[in-house]
Amino acid sequence: MTAAPQVARLLILVPYLQQREYVDVAEVAADFNIKPRQVLDDLQVLVMCGLPGGLPDDLIEIDLDLAREEGLIHMRNSPLTRPLRFTRDEAVSLIVAVEAVREVADGPTAQAAQSVIDKLSGLMGEALPVRLEVAAGGDDVRDRLGEAIDQGLQVRLTYDGLARRGTTTPVVDPTRVEVRDGASYLVAWALDRGDWRSYRLDRIADAELTGQPAKDHGAPPVASGSFEDTPDTATLDLDASAAWVAEYYPVRGVTALPDGGVQVVLPVADPGFLTGLILRLGPQIRFVDPPSAAADALAEARAFLGQLD
Amino acid sequence: MERRTSERLVNLTIALLTARTFTSKDRLRDLVEGYHGLNNENFDRQFERDKDTLRALGVPIETGTDERYFADEPGYRIRRDDFELPPLSFGPAEVAVLVTAAQVWQQASVAESTTRALTKVWASGVEPDIDRLGALRPHISAREPAWQTLWDALQARRYVTFTYHNMARRVAPFVLAYRHGAWYLAGFDDTRGAPRLFKLGRIQGEVSLTGEPGAYELPATPATELLAGLEEAQPDATALLAVRSGRAPWLTRRAELVAQAEGEWRRWQLPYASGGAVVDDIAMGGADVRVIEPAELAEAVKAHHQALLANLGVTP
Repeated sequence: MTAAPQVARLLILVPYLQQREYVDVAEVAADFNIKPRQVLDDLQVLVMCGLPGGLPDDLIEIDLDLAREEGLIHMRNSPLTRPLRFTRDEAVSLIVAVEAVREVADGPTAQAAQSVIDKLSGLMGEALPVRLEVAAGGDDVRDRLGEAIDQGLQVRLTYDGLARRGTTTPVVDPTRVEVRDGASYLVAWALDRGDWRSYRLDRIADAELTGQPAKDHGAPPVASGSFEDTPDTATLDLDASAAWVAEYYPVRGVTALPDGGVQVVLPVADPGFLTGLILRLGPQIRFVDPPSAAADALAEARAFLGQLD
Repeated sequence: MERRTSERLVNLTIALLTARTFTSKDRLRDLVEGYHGLNNENFDRQFERDKDTLRALGVPIETGTDERYFADEPGYRIRRDDFELPPLSFGPAEVAVLVTAAQVWQQASVAESTTRALTKVWASGVEPDIDRLGALRPHISAREPAWQTLWDALQARRYVTFTYHNMARRVAPFVLAYRHGAWYLAGFDDTRGAPRLFKLGRIQGEVSLTGEPGAYELPATPATELLAGLEEAQPDATALLAVRSGRAPWLTRRAELVAQAEGEWRRWQLPYASGGAVVDDIAMGGADVRVIEPAELAEAVKAHHQALLANLGVTP
């Protein structure tokens, strides 16, 4: 019995077609996220459906030849005028998706998203059992970046990047805002590097317009600036209390050590990032391979202690 | 075969929806062509299955009797008000948000539910003829293996069982929370007899559904106190730090600059939660940060760096 998904769709498709006098098969396929062949199949079922009675006038009328040959749908005699209500699963899925949009959007778009959430929640009539929290930085920064992206303007970021453990002020042509793994990133063309970079929104302390227009650099690569395509790795043996590293970073491998510790293999996109992590973990690290990966962190620790004397 | 089934289910829905009153089972057998030619036993079985399938899709089939005609025979109907999505209207900016929302979920099953909800909006007369917001790409993913079962349990209000901290639990799920890329479940832990918070990544083995749907109600403000446990601890102490100019911004952004400066060093007052991760935060700054006071904190950071050097076999 696999008819359920088709029935769910048909009960929506009838009022959908009723709202549109003529509609392309391709458009229906796109809106319902199915193949055009499936749309034609659905239509074949629909012409056998209608008011009880079995008289020709009782059935839904669709010109199937027009649909097959011209890719155009025209329906008459619809017994359903409104779609079925949302199921709880549908309502929650959609509202949470809109919340994700609101979390990263700037001023007017965030307002529009909130208004959509209010309208949909009103229909649901119960508390939403899902919470989202995306690290998306300050409203001012988001508004400024949104404005710069919309109008194609260049910005100078004040960026508190963890990789260099210091503040930098890169000039960038901003392109879009992405959410990956619960954090928002600005994807932008960094002028000094001549390449695409991702900047975590919650580490952008400020963004000011330079007064220059942004240039067109084509489309950024998917998941730019992520760890996925990094060839270098470092292996860290950690105490059990530092096992969060395996949950927090996109590690290549995790092995349990006999006494409850863990061994993690980390991709190293930027040596500065690893130095910061090793300094942070301190006593919870037992071993680093290759040892050279820890050299900068050890030099820092030694310099710290040297300053105390 | 699937086509005939779809046809029969849609026709049954239309028959129940357009009838003015309760319709008896025998009458439905006549009205819906897909039931013709079945013997009594097969019809009974088919009819029961069809009702279950439609109800699972959210079609509100009611049972009752119309006193005037069949005093002792139950009938069925679908009330239009319960069936139909109430009117919805969205402005252009709102439609752009909805179109963008279609791309958010990376989980196939939830992405499908989102699409179905959106097609209901489009079927309600809203035109999705606006481009999605090109500059926004919000994605939510849920890689934790436990996620899908917990999501299903939450929507159906069913109990789940799983192992956590080496202990078998029976839990009523209240809220799934996504924070900084990790999923948490807040719910009532029957085994412990108290509300509890679970990190999905730490659930051991499989999660199983247990008991009937609708086994519990959600509290009015589900698990607010539990989820507050996910927030950062409130500062209860202040440290005085010296930080090299422009360095360790993760510290200086939540600190206040103190007037006095010595060369490239600036002094900052940092509020922190004792018992939190302040030592780790400071240690991450390496030689760019010094603790001036309190003495215990200065000592703790010193010990942190000494232990790192000792563990990795280097003499300070």
